[in-house]
Amino acid sequence: MQNQKKIILVKDTNMDKETSSMIDKFLFGLRERGLSEDVKVIRAADLNIYNKGVVVKIWPENITYANVKKDDIDLIIHRTVENGKNIDELLVSETNKQLRIVLRNCGIIDPEKIDDYLDNEGYCALAKVLSEYSPDEVIEQMKISGLRGRGGGGFPTWMKWNFAKAQKEETKYIICNADEGDPGAYMDRSVLEGDPHSVIEGMIIAGYTVGAQKGYLYIRAEYPLAIKRITLAINQAREKGLLGDNILGTDFSFDLDVRLGAGAFVCGEETALIASIEGKRGCPSPRPPYPSVNGLWGKPTIINNVETLANIAPILHNGGDWFASIGTEKSKGTKVFALTGKVNNSSLIEVPMGTTLRDIVYNIGGGVLNNKKIKAVQTGGPSGGVIPENLLDTSIDYENLQRLGSIMGSGGMIVMDEDDCMVDIAKFYLQFCVDESCGKCAPCRIGGKQMLNILSNISEGKGDLEDISSLKRISQALQKASLCGLGQTAPNPVVSTLKHFEEEYIEHINEKICRAKKCSLLSIYEIIEEKCKRCSLCQRSCPVEAINGNREVGFTIDQEKCIKCGKCFEVCKFEAVSL
Amino acid sequence: MSKLTLDSFKNKSKKAKKNNTNFIKVGLSTCGIAAGADTVFNVLKEELKKKEINVPVLRCGCAGMCYAEPLVEVKIEGMPWIIYGKVNEDVALKIIRKHVARKQVINDYIFSIKDE
Ligand SMILES: Cc1cc2nc3c(=O)[nH]c(=O)nc-3n(C[C@H](O)[C@H](O)[C@H](O)COP(=O)(O)O)c2cc1C
Repeated sequence: MQNQKKIILVKDTNMDKETSSMIDKFLFGLRERGLSEDVKVIRAADLNIYNKGVVVKIWPENITYANVKKDDIDLIIHRTVENGKNIDELLVSETNKQLRIVLRNCGIIDPEKIDDYLDNEGYCALAKVLSEYSPDEVIEQMKISGLRGRGGGGFPTWMKWNFAKAQKEETKYIICNADEGDPGAYMDRSVLEGDPHSVIEGMIIAGYTVGAQKGYLYIRAEYPLAIKRITLAINQAREKGLLGDNILGTDFSFDLDVRLGAGAFVCGEETALIASIEGKRGCPSPRPPYPSVNGLWGKPTIINNVETLANIAPILHNGGDWFASIGTEKSKGTKVFALTGKVNNSSLIEVPMGTTLRDIVYNIGGGVLNNKKIKAVQTGGPSGGVIPENLLDTSIDYENLQRLGSIMGSGGMIVMDEDDCMVDIAKFYLQFCVDESCGKCAPCRIGGKQMLNILSNISEGKGDLEDISSLKRISQALQKASLCGLGQTAPNPVVSTLKHFEEEYIEHINEKICRAKKCSLLSIYEIIEEKCKRCSLCQRSCPVEAINGNREVGFTIDQEKCIKCGKCFEVCKFEAVSL
Repeated sequence: MSKLTLDSFKNKSKKAKKNNTNFIKVGLSTCGIAAGADTVFNVLKEELKKKEINVPVLRCGCAGMCYAEPLVEVKIEGMPWIIYGKVNEDVALKIIRKHVARKQVINDYIFSIKDE
């Protein structure tokens, strides 16, 4: 069997129309020079470079050229393929914008084999901590690292640990928050499924540092594979002496158990989560006291997010200052995002703090679906907000996102284009919070519902300009008076869409139009005469007899009678009903 | 399984990399499985057995490129180290019959080239 000597990979990163003719030209050129036997030309589906015209990659040298034109092909064959020389004008330095710390092993090791993790420096940080560090020294490293909680709040992790450590109680607990409830977010699931030991190692180190003997992973029941893999990992770690009594032969003992989520979004809030583990109804309670002082069963408890915990081992293995060298002044390290929505590459990404949203959408996400115009990026899920197109060059960190009226949140990132209506988006998230409100406090229970009513009216063309000030006023009440983060942040999507897209609200109210054509009650259905084949299907389907006419003269829709149900639009086979 | 102690970590050299051998790796997290990675995993194994080729088929978690699931990473000596995406049964068979057995790269399904 003969090895292939050289391979040329070709991909048109803009439109995908050029690739074939470029390949033909390559094949022709190679044949002319008698190289067809030794050099293969291959159509690639993706070379991870975007918006750079035709990209050509040459193996085994791994030379990458971008914006390649047909006229360059002869030169590439002659200079690079035949003579091994680079063409500097075409070279792209492959700047990989991603940096994988949390996801270091995801997609690389077998998550069901502890030996794979051990072979990749797994549990080295734990061994180092147990042999070299006092709990205070661990906290010192954590402080130097600048790690902040990845569950949404961004609270400095070392401080939380220090509070719990200072408590003079015999019994303390570590909880891993894996309830991941934000719509569209799946960062934590991927870590648990792809590298469960990284979370376990972080929890053991946390246990050693604060003096806890027991930890719980609270995982949402909708994640069966994550539950299976973490349970397997816990058992393997126990067999290896990494959990249980006398870990690694030291006098430190610590063990873990899994608890399944009760299926409500609010159970991700730390006090509600603790109540849920205790077997009570998952309702939040006022803080202080904070869990680090008075948590699970009244004992000092650290509660950290999955991603936060997956950062612990690399920090202690490589040193706090290594971690602190990554990111921005106040936000250190990396952040994992679930990039979804109207983006070409829906993907799970990890980037250094300080990366711009534009870089993420265009250079990692490969740009907007169908080359449409981007309108905004939503971050932070139902507690977050939208960042409009003109602010996409903002670099991501906790403070910057907050200043723009959004939040870092847990890592959901949804790309929105011209077809997304900002009133509709606000309504979607608010509806989510109203559904998930536990009902314990009045501002959240009543205020949320009232805001939703107002938004519904606006989206149905029954809005009033005064509604905007009502929305702002109720928002403030929710933010100030709600018991927990759910109610305090529920108005954020409304406030932020109002801040950046107030004109869309006003259009809905004054002109009764929805420019994205999402709010169906504002749309006007009309029959396009030129396209209409007079089949009468729409007339027969209309539930309120709002379509006048007959097969001789054609049909028209009576706008007075029309209830905008969209039935005519759906049934027409000739796209003759316009929106 | 014998228990580890602090000493087990003393002489651990840096990364014990096992990169030089041939392997095929399939992303088997929820995203991959939802796209059909389970079937692909089985097809790859069966075809290797049928052809009596000895290359391990490994499992891994989500590599992040969810838009291209199921993902199959193929590392065969003397060939580029490729991640194929949107792999279905048909492509899985091609991976064994063409890429592994005849050392020919497959058109249209390459989603990433890994550096050595
Ligand atoms: C309504 C609500 C839902 C939450 N859901 C989650 C969640 O799913 N996962 C999570 O880690 N934190 C969630 N949090 C944040 C937790 O209360 C807590 O701040 C976090 O787990 C602390 O971990 P960290 O310091 O590592 O970020 C939620 C908060 C609120 C108010």
